[in-house]
Amino acid sequence: MSRSGLVVASLAVVVFSLFPVFVMLSTAVDEDANAGGRGIIPGGLTFEHFSRVLTETRFPDYLLNSLVVAVVTVLASGLLALFAAVAVARFRFSGRTKILMMILIVQMVPMEALVIPLFLQAKTLGLLNSLLGLSVIYIAFSLSFAIWTLRGFVAAVPMELEEAAYLDGCSWWQMFWKVLFPLVAPGLVAVSVFSFILAWNEFIFALTFMADDDMYTAAVGLRAFFTRSGTDWGAVMAASSIITLPVMIFFVAVQSRLSSGLMSGATKG
Amino acid sequence: MSSPALGSARRPWLLLAPTLAVIGILLLWPMVRVVILSFQDFGLRELVRGGAEIVGLQNYRDILTDERLWRVALPNTVVFAVVCVVLTVAVGTLVALLLHRLSPGWRTLVTMSVMAAWAVPAVTGTYVWVYLFDARAGFLTGILGQLGLIDVATTNLFTERGWFYAIATLNVVHHGFPFVAVTVLAGLVTIPSELPEAAMIDGANAWQRFRHVTLPMLKPVFAIVTILSTIWDFKVFTQIYLMPGGDGSNREVLNLGTWSYITAMSQNQFGLGAAIAVLLTLLLLGITALYLRTLFKEEEL
Repeated sequence: MSRSGLVVASLAVVVFSLFPVFVMLSTAVDEDANAGGRGIIPGGLTFEHFSRVLTETRFPDYLLNSLVVAVVTVLASGLLALFAAVAVARFRFSGRTKILMMILIVQMVPMEALVIPLFLQAKTLGLLNSLLGLSVIYIAFSLSFAIWTLRGFVAAVPMELEEAAYLDGCSWWQMFWKVLFPLVAPGLVAVSVFSFILAWNEFIFALTFMADDDMYTAAVGLRAFFTRSGTDWGAVMAASSIITLPVMIFFVAVQSRLSSGLMSGATKG
Repeated sequence: MSSPALGSARRPWLLLAPTLAVIGILLLWPMVRVVILSFQDFGLRELVRGGAEIVGLQNYRDILTDERLWRVALPNTVVFAVVCVVLTVAVGTLVALLLHRLSPGWRTLVTMSVMAAWAVPAVTGTYVWVYLFDARAGFLTGILGQLGLIDVATTNLFTERGWFYAIATLNVVHHGFPFVAVTVLAGLVTIPSELPEAAMIDGANAWQRFRHVTLPMLKPVFAIVTILSTIWDFKVFTQIYLMPGGDGSNREVLNLGTWSYITAMSQNQFGLGAAIAVLLTLLLLGITALYLRTLFKEEEL
């Protein structure tokens, strides 16, 4: 392919990739967003849709719910996965291979097939409409990937460091927090980004579990802008921008570290 | 392992206990439960009072004899998935080949854009495509009208099964190609550059170099992206459910995922919904097994 051919192809990929993002943002700041028959270029700029979404609707509550669920998921799944990764990377015990296989296989289970039994279970246990109940499900779904990734990072830490800490009089748990934890931190960052995005974006469980309006997550709460009398597209796109942009900027910012982290996690196993 | 730093033999199990509990209670038991449910008559009454009657294969009989399965849900699921997988892998691979040839500056720009597309949540992405194809105001609806493909005054694209799934395909391919591009690119950089260069000197054109050098070397990478895309595209839920009519109000556009969900959650037929979910899972397992078998068979040769 010629030099100019590469440039044209590159621009085509950039436009195709960013087109929906552009439309989302341009509609969110367009005075005529709800006028109908508009193009994709704003007629006049306004932040009215953003201020309406943030002051006149329950959307800020939904954002807070999403944040709580995502943070709980990141912290809990990161910690549990690190424990499990240390167990399978540092110890040889009977049943180890079987457990690793099982963790790999449960990753194949379609979330969609579990929503019915988990809904019935949560109803029986009174866990519907609960941020904790929702987080626990996201923790389960992010664990498998997190364990497989962290396993590589733990294995890459030289065993001598742990032994030296032990000889210095550290207990096993002190060694865990002071030696192992800081050294696998890059792996934890990669794993956290993925579990955060999973929890932040998830729709089907949030839709099913959160029956009350005040417990909606942001992804589910967007539905409130679609009413019988019509769709408030300005509000939908402003709220969508608020949900999408921070995650996107963060993801793009850490992506090079992310992919190198995942690569080393995958190969150092 | 003799190191004293490792501690007692109980320690690995102590470390694993929380994870095993979470996986057991939230993934393995529900997996068993969905199968049990699929053999039960579990409706609103059972939801309120508890207890459910075992009805054997009745739910499966009901589904397999329902013409909606054969005429609507199965074709919608399978045709849509096959088209999406082929397009996702093709677009992703082309983008990877492009990225591989770009100078560092251009590569960064294109990678950033592709990453941004990847990070758009399924929910918000779907709303944007719905907006663009909106019956009255949609920008892309207008373009289709100007091209003479539709009559804008009388058409609502979402009510027609073909157009509905064409829009869903665009959405799913846009959402899925970045993963393929990034994974295939990671594979491409591992191929020593001497190989395609030698092929080029031997007179191989771009397609021949891809077919006879790149493809064989990256077979495992292509197998992974194809298997994962297949699994994802067979059970697409959010992107269908959030489109107009996708929540069950237009029965022509049901796929197995939305049919299962709507049967259980909107009609309170949990047993029947579970049976559809089990069928979908079996379909996925079957396809994955088929892929893996083909893969390992070819490895032996």
